[in-house]
Amino acid sequence: METKKLCLALYTGSVDKLTAAGVILGGAAADDMKVDIYVLLQGARAFRKDIGDNADKLQMAEYPDMKEEFLQSLKNLNVKTWVEFFKEAKAITDVKIHICGLAGKVWGGEKLDDFIDLADDICGIGAYITSAQEADVNLFI
Amino acid sequence: MTTEELKKLQIKKSVDARGTACPGPLLEAKKTIGTINPGDIMEILSADEGTKVDVPKWCTKQGHEYLGTIEEGGYYRIYMKKH
Repeated sequence: METKKLCLALYTGSVDKLTAAGVILGGAAADDMKVDIYVLLQGARAFRKDIGDNADKLQMAEYPDMKEEFLQSLKNLNVKTWVEFFKEAKAITDVKIHICGLAGKVWGGEKLDDFIDLADDICGIGAYITSAQEADVNLFI
Repeated sequence: MTTEELKKLQIKKSVDARGTACPGPLLEAKKTIGTINPGDIMEILSADEGTKVDVPKWCTKQGHEYLGTIEEGGYYRIYMKKH
């Protein structure tokens, strides 16, 4: 069976959209897709070592006043955190996470070691464009 | 397959994913399918409505055989054969 490719431009740094990205990654992992994630601008903040899945430091993109209710509901449903979703997908299928060099600098990270260990490398936008051109599925979150 | 036929199947592995929400049941099935042999039958227990749609489609894409679903009280038993 031919391996399908998913290219995800992950712009968001908000907990609700990161969780949605995690759910989608789960589906891609179940299908053995090859996934390339390009972490752009606001997304890079969430990948900082001092943030990650610390929900206290993440905002909501939608319904910001309902963050606590949203997080409690996820907990009640036994839903993983966004970092756990990403880790699980990486354990199941080929997922590479690339931090945009500019995005890293915007949020004070210049080296791979400045980000949580989900990140695989720091790259330029050309890598994203090439991946997007080659992918079967392209998403921007 | 009829419900009676499904109930008589020899199950090699049963995946109880009733405590998880989407995509949990699908991922539990994905992890477990690697532990059984071609021809073996796996049963997935899920309380998530989406799973009874996801698993048949997943079987088609992955080359496995979807056998059927039994609706129990508050959850589903979904049967598939590994190819």
